[in-house]
Amino acid sequence: MKRSLGIGLWALAVVAGLAVFLLMPHLVSDFHSRDLASAGVFFIAIVGLNLLTGYTGQISLGHGALMAIGGYTTAALVVHEHWRDVWTIPLAGIAAGVVGFLIGLPALRLSGLYLALATFGFAVAMPSLLKKFPGLTGGSQGLSFFESAPTQITGVSGQVTIFGHSMTQAHFLYYLTWSIGIVGFAIAWLIVRGGFGRVFRSVRDSEIAAVSSGVNLARTKTVAFAISGVYAGVAGALLAIQDDIVSPLSFTVLLSITILVGAVVGGLGSLPGLVFGALFVQYLPTISTHVSTRAGVPDFVYGAAIILVMILLPTGAGGLLRRLARPLTTRLYTRP
Amino acid sequence: MSRVLHLSAALLGALALAAVASGGGTSTPGVTANEIVIGGTVPLTGVASAYRTVGLGAAAYFRYVNAHGGVNHRKIRYIIKDDQYDPAQTMDKTRELVEQDHVFAIFNSLGTEQNQATRGYLNAIKVPQLFIASGDTTWGRDYKQFPWTIGYQPNYRAEGTIYGRYIAKTAPKSRIGVLYQNDDYGKDLLAGLRRGLGKKAKLIVSTQNYDVTDPNDQAQIAKLKAAKANTLMLFSTPKFTIQAYAYSRQLGWRPKVYVNAVSSASNVMGIATLGNGKKQTDGTISIVFIKDPTDPRWAKDRGIKLYRTVMKRYKGTNPSDVYNAYGMSVAHTFVEALKKAGKNPTRDSIMRAATHLNIHNDPFVLPGIVVRTTPTDHFPLDQARLERYHNGRWLSFGGMFRVR
Amino acid sequence: MLLAIDWTQLAQQTVIGLSAGGLWALLALAIVLIYRSTGVINFAQGEMAMFSTFIAWSLINHGLSYWEAFFLTLAISFAGGIAIERVVIRPVERAPVLTIVIVTLGLFFVVDGAARWIWSSETRTLPNAFSTRPITIAGVAFSIQDLGNIAVSLGVVALLALLFRFTKVGLALRATAGNPEESRLLGIRVSWMLALGWGLAAAMGAVSGMLTAPALASFDQNLMQPVLLYALAGAVLGGLESPFGAVVGSLLLGVFVNLTGTYVDWIGTDLRVPVAFAVILGVLLVKPTGLFGRPSARRV
Repeated sequence: MKRSLGIGLWALAVVAGLAVFLLMPHLVSDFHSRDLASAGVFFIAIVGLNLLTGYTGQISLGHGALMAIGGYTTAALVVHEHWRDVWTIPLAGIAAGVVGFLIGLPALRLSGLYLALATFGFAVAMPSLLKKFPGLTGGSQGLSFFESAPTQITGVSGQVTIFGHSMTQAHFLYYLTWSIGIVGFAIAWLIVRGGFGRVFRSVRDSEIAAVSSGVNLARTKTVAFAISGVYAGVAGALLAIQDDIVSPLSFTVLLSITILVGAVVGGLGSLPGLVFGALFVQYLPTISTHVSTRAGVPDFVYGAAIILVMILLPTGAGGLLRRLARPLTTRLYTRP
Repeated sequence: MSRVLHLSAALLGALALAAVASGGGTSTPGVTANEIVIGGTVPLTGVASAYRTVGLGAAAYFRYVNAHGGVNHRKIRYIIKDDQYDPAQTMDKTRELVEQDHVFAIFNSLGTEQNQATRGYLNAIKVPQLFIASGDTTWGRDYKQFPWTIGYQPNYRAEGTIYGRYIAKTAPKSRIGVLYQNDDYGKDLLAGLRRGLGKKAKLIVSTQNYDVTDPNDQAQIAKLKAAKANTLMLFSTPKFTIQAYAYSRQLGWRPKVYVNAVSSASNVMGIATLGNGKKQTDGTISIVFIKDPTDPRWAKDRGIKLYRTVMKRYKGTNPSDVYNAYGMSVAHTFVEALKKAGKNPTRDSIMRAATHLNIHNDPFVLPGIVVRTTPTDHFPLDQARLERYHNGRWLSFGGMFRVR
Repeated sequence: MLLAIDWTQLAQQTVIGLSAGGLWALLALAIVLIYRSTGVINFAQGEMAMFSTFIAWSLINHGLSYWEAFFLTLAISFAGGIAIERVVIRPVERAPVLTIVIVTLGLFFVVDGAARWIWSSETRTLPNAFSTRPITIAGVAFSIQDLGNIAVSLGVVALLALLFRFTKVGLALRATAGNPEESRLLGIRVSWMLALGWGLAAAMGAVSGMLTAPALASFDQNLMQPVLLYALAGAVLGGLESPFGAVVGSLLLGVFVNLTGTYVDWIGTDLRVPVAFAVILGVLLVKPTGLFGRPSARRV
């Protein structure tokens, strides 16, 4: 009885979520569809980071750099090899996953603040590294799809036709990004519920205890980094596809900070709040601009909001949801 | 039954009438009976925020024009969006301007990489990209591929060529060291220098570049001094130009300096002189095409008097910033083009006007400079004079160069 | 082979490296102080230093003399650091590392935004405490400013050492840093010790900003952003728990970055930041406590 009620609630939530996902573009303007697609990019990166930081306890301030790997892989394939933009996504994810794995190796020796520092350094260094290979990356200018390979842009004419159904490019980008986001979310959910999830959590809670219970620490950490890297790479690829351009300035340390903030505000170690986290980092700067366009105010409001959330809701939106859901479900389960 | 039919027919008729009356034919975005909406991106904040006055000066001039009736009874609404000098944000904000604000044209957007990011998109959807605030040669050179794009200021390659030609002629034994920003702007100036030097290109003994995100250029200056250069080309933005003077002085080095137009503004030179003494900045050479509002030579000039009026009455900021005058010049040109675009301007007609300019009365450019374009000459400003810095002032000398 | 090396060039670039490191040293000191007393890396340290620089500029603009403005800015920054710790950090004092990291990142935006809001983003200058007149010895040029910056950093380290060793407050600060729980039991007002740490660090950051601005010839709100990573690298190299290490580490880093940039063409001036990152990574992997840190037992 209890179980079926719980499952029933979940099924309802899932159905409602899917309905919102499918109908959203028709309720908002084309322009806002693009904004939502951009939030989707953050969502995917945040889900990946959550697996690493929320479930395995490794702090990374360098996921923007992993997004850069994905984004530039996509751009290089489109501009140099004339691939269609959307077909580059899997390769972008793999490339970033490999780099993530490589980062995971030194991460074995680092933890907590040291890891944060090292990944921070990686993120700050990434623009310089990108500019060092101008033949591949376009240097400080970056790579522009419109300039170099306009025919490889899906929807360059404004309309996209899928399975006989025609839609605007903005709508296409929205559906593309959030479909991948939903699939990624589902995969992360399965990982978390499965064996790997338990292993990740044991490492987060206590590395020594985990090792003593037979967990291969090295393999776990590098796997976590690699998986979160794949997510970041896919997110970076989608960012490049949405913007039709990549440049070193698109992937500064600010992006890494944004992803981490989104993950923490969304609620680490829990998946439902992450959508909120993505919307938070996407829309808070925009909302702040509406408060005042005077220089500095949007940043000030953004920073203040982050601090307030950390003070008032340290477990993020996910934590809040859990707290709200608990009395609800207990009331359902206890007899009067 | 018949009453329902009559009613429906009447309703349909009314609807049809309304549809016809609301606008015969296609309407141009951004143009209404009493307003023209244009927009552009400018780094209001971030590493390049010193250039925001390029947009703010233009905005002040438009307010002045609107106060005097506008153009063909239409006021000009000029929307400036902040892209923080980041090409991805430029793309974002430009899209906003086109798709949300429905602007008539993109105007006076600043930056080389920034405008390259949006050029393909704007040309694909046939939105005019007018009078780009960047001296990259490509705006005027590649018009066959990008017919909706046009630049404004004398281009960087041409500027470098002037310096090269002048040095080759007047100082053929120089040892030239070049500090350049590691992007298209810096590289264009360097390429022009080489072209102008021609066979004497080996006078360049060392080139050092820096990145906009570097804290300073101290090491680069030291290397240029170590290469025993006696002439220093500063193809750098204001912050790094000021530092170049400072570090040269700290190294006890006083080469002959050429500073590019972007960094030759009086307030920049003023800061460099203040920190390092007159001897370090005296004799610096640059090119000039806009009247500097702080130059006493223009104190009684009609154009600068207009400039001061506009800055005071129409909320200009920092009147001694020459970028404001540049902004007013480009705004003035837009107004002239708009007048030529006809009573009901379209995007086609404004592009046609922009490629048929012949403006002799721009109040803000040097006397003798004509803003001119033809269908095969897409460089509105291609004249400049050399100027020399002395005792806190720029003095132009020599003849008018026509640069290409 | 020895004669083939241009010794003057080498010496000159070393001096330039020391000059750059000297600028980073004070910010590194501030970072180390907060890390030592609260176990936190304050990612907003640079922006706080920048904000203090603007305060100094405003005071001078309103007619104060340079030294009046200097010391008043120190006092204001000290108070500001304490205020920030009380308002923003105290609520999350006992929270996990990640929460505090996010809070300092939020603080970065708050302080940066405030600085842009209050002061417009034009280029400004700050007068120099030291002369920039070039002095040349054996073909190597430097200025009093270069020496002055390094001297100030070492002077602050000395002051800190005196504070920690010979005053009751200093003793309390050290106790709090090492063992907050035990210190509380001993009656030390741990909370206020943390605030004091932040206040001191803010004051040091203010000095850092007020020296960096004239050294870079002009300043605006972006002043300290490029410096932050170098300061972090210098602090890590010297040892995050050692103020003396912060200064020495920054100086060494400055020389290292500059010499690799001068003599390894591929690195040149393009890869200075990645070199700093490589130093951070290398040190953390090989000897995380840095050159002068004492190895500590890892808390389980």
